[in-house]
Amino acid sequence: MIQVENVSKQYKLNKKQKKELKTTASSINAVNGISFECQPGRVFSLLGPNGAGKTTTLRMMSTILTPTNGDIKICGQSVTQNPTEVRRKIGFLTGSTNLYDRLNPEEIVKYFASLYGMDDKVFKERKEMLFDQMGIHEFSKKRIGQMSTGMKQKVSIARSMIHDPDVVIFDEPTSGLDVITAHNIIELIRDCKNAGKTVIFSSHIMSEVDLLCDDLAIIAKGDLVYQGTMDSFRQENSGISLTEAFIQTVDRNSTTHA
Amino acid sequence: MNTIFTVFKKELLDTLRDRRTLLTAILLPALLLPFLMYGITKVTKTMVEKEKAKKLKIAILDSPDDFISRIDTAKFELISGMDLEKGRDQILSDSLDALMAFANGYTKAIANNQTGNVNVWYKSTNLSVRDKMTTLIEDYEEGILDQRIVDLGLSKSAIDPIEMRRYDIAPKKEQIGKMAGGFLPYLFIIFCFMGCMYPALDLITGEKERGTIETLLTVPASRFSILMGKVITIALIGLASAGMTILGLFVAIKFMPDIPADFLEALGNIVNTKFVIMLFAMLIPLSIFFAGSLSAIVVGAKSFKEAQSIATPLSFIVIIPAALALTPGIELNWTTAMIPILNMALATKEIVAGTIQNGHYIVIVLSLIVLAILAVLISFRQFSKEGMVLK
Repeated sequence: MIQVENVSKQYKLNKKQKKELKTTASSINAVNGISFECQPGRVFSLLGPNGAGKTTTLRMMSTILTPTNGDIKICGQSVTQNPTEVRRKIGFLTGSTNLYDRLNPEEIVKYFASLYGMDDKVFKERKEMLFDQMGIHEFSKKRIGQMSTGMKQKVSIARSMIHDPDVVIFDEPTSGLDVITAHNIIELIRDCKNAGKTVIFSSHIMSEVDLLCDDLAIIAKGDLVYQGTMDSFRQENSGISLTEAFIQTVDRNSTTHA
Repeated sequence: MNTIFTVFKKELLDTLRDRRTLLTAILLPALLLPFLMYGITKVTKTMVEKEKAKKLKIAILDSPDDFISRIDTAKFELISGMDLEKGRDQILSDSLDALMAFANGYTKAIANNQTGNVNVWYKSTNLSVRDKMTTLIEDYEEGILDQRIVDLGLSKSAIDPIEMRRYDIAPKKEQIGKMAGGFLPYLFIIFCFMGCMYPALDLITGEKERGTIETLLTVPASRFSILMGKVITIALIGLASAGMTILGLFVAIKFMPDIPADFLEALGNIVNTKFVIMLFAMLIPLSIFFAGSLSAIVVGAKSFKEAQSIATPLSFIVIIPAALALTPGIELNWTTAMIPILNMALATKEIVAGTIQNGHYIVIVLSLIVLAILAVLISFRQFSKEGMVLK
């Protein structure tokens, strides 16, 4: 369960940034008081164009950034009050599947398990299960630097799932991946949903959203411009493709803003 | 504590698998000194021997007969049939080494107990020619002088009233301390810094550049422990570099030919357990200080390249106080004991010489510890800033 309550994130601008953005304001709002909820056993999709504030929102959820205003509760724990408790509950995965090049999958997964403070026995069982599921065993002793993107992606998934989190947060998880590799992620999201986990992912690929998503929110320029179930979004926009519906929703709101 | 160890273990494994780190931080400092010292002594030795064995081609004009007969033909080859102009041309074209001409009225001046002139043409770019020619003339002059003393009815001691005898009672240990003591810390301080630099770039900026820091920050471990695990790894590599430099120096000295036995013995007296402990008591906080400050500085960099361009000039800042310790006249006192890096270099000098005062030493170690703590705290403050850690 994720509850986003009127969350804002403000970035202070330094002189150079002010020049680049041609503004005299001392700060900009990346996210502007947004609220929504993600339910266990359902997949929530956060949509928005580049620079809309998706990554900032997901980073606040995963305690990498602290909200300037408002709060986010993960399984009842506040990201501002109890970040350590929140971290125990979440699994975080980004599209840039970067890992440590000089380590092998075994070592990386073990490293993260130790950081999560996992019991050795539990870790071994969990690792075996994940490695079996994704076929990591055959390259579990190979260094990351020598692996293909697909292999790396699998290791990234194992790494983020090793502690069996209740809530999984994916930031554009399929960006830069080919269809086959991206399919690993789609399977993973399905499995998480079936296991009753709360899943949120950001994307701008509508086919993925269509395939997986139960609820969605669209943000543009830091504002929440749409929130509802996938079914109602489809109904409201019958007759046009989902991509068109997405573009229209974003456009409508940015023009009214300007 | 557990997290620090987990991070440390992983970072150490990661760093030790990096060939570049192994090469620059471990192998290079260990091998540099032996190679450098062996190479330099070998080259100087062969050069000196070659110079010594070289027969000089000289021409002498208007020479008195007794001079010509004195010349050692093993060392000089006399070229005849030369005049001033031809001789000078040949010197310039390197077919002649020197031309010597006894001036007009030379014989008369000598006979009248006056000063006679001898002109010598040579090229200063040909090392040792001038010295060899001077020796040649001086030997001859001594003979004339002895004759004059006898002619005047004097004794040799009458014109050499005082003879000074010098007794150097500085212990060998102190002599070495002054010589090697300044040079040794200069080297290991620099290598300690360089040893810290590459891992700092890799473990701090590298993690940011690769984007792995993001996932690392979502684990339920404190940011302080994560940073500490990294700083300890960085400091350890710096410490290993410094240790390797010292080891390399002693290996070089052990296996180097032509080192006087008493020098070796004195050196053996210097390098004992106490020396090693005293040295590392300073090196450990110093490497943590380097690791902490480097981390604090490179954490803001967006890429490895940017971090490198910030960190490389810093090595000059480190070199300056280390080099200052080599300057004669700069001694360890209560003021210099407070200047980081310089204090460590001066203290090493005194430890080697066996003249270190306990008070100074304690102040130095304590000040280095305080600096190390400060550097770690500053790097933690930097590491905790959102804008610093993320791209």
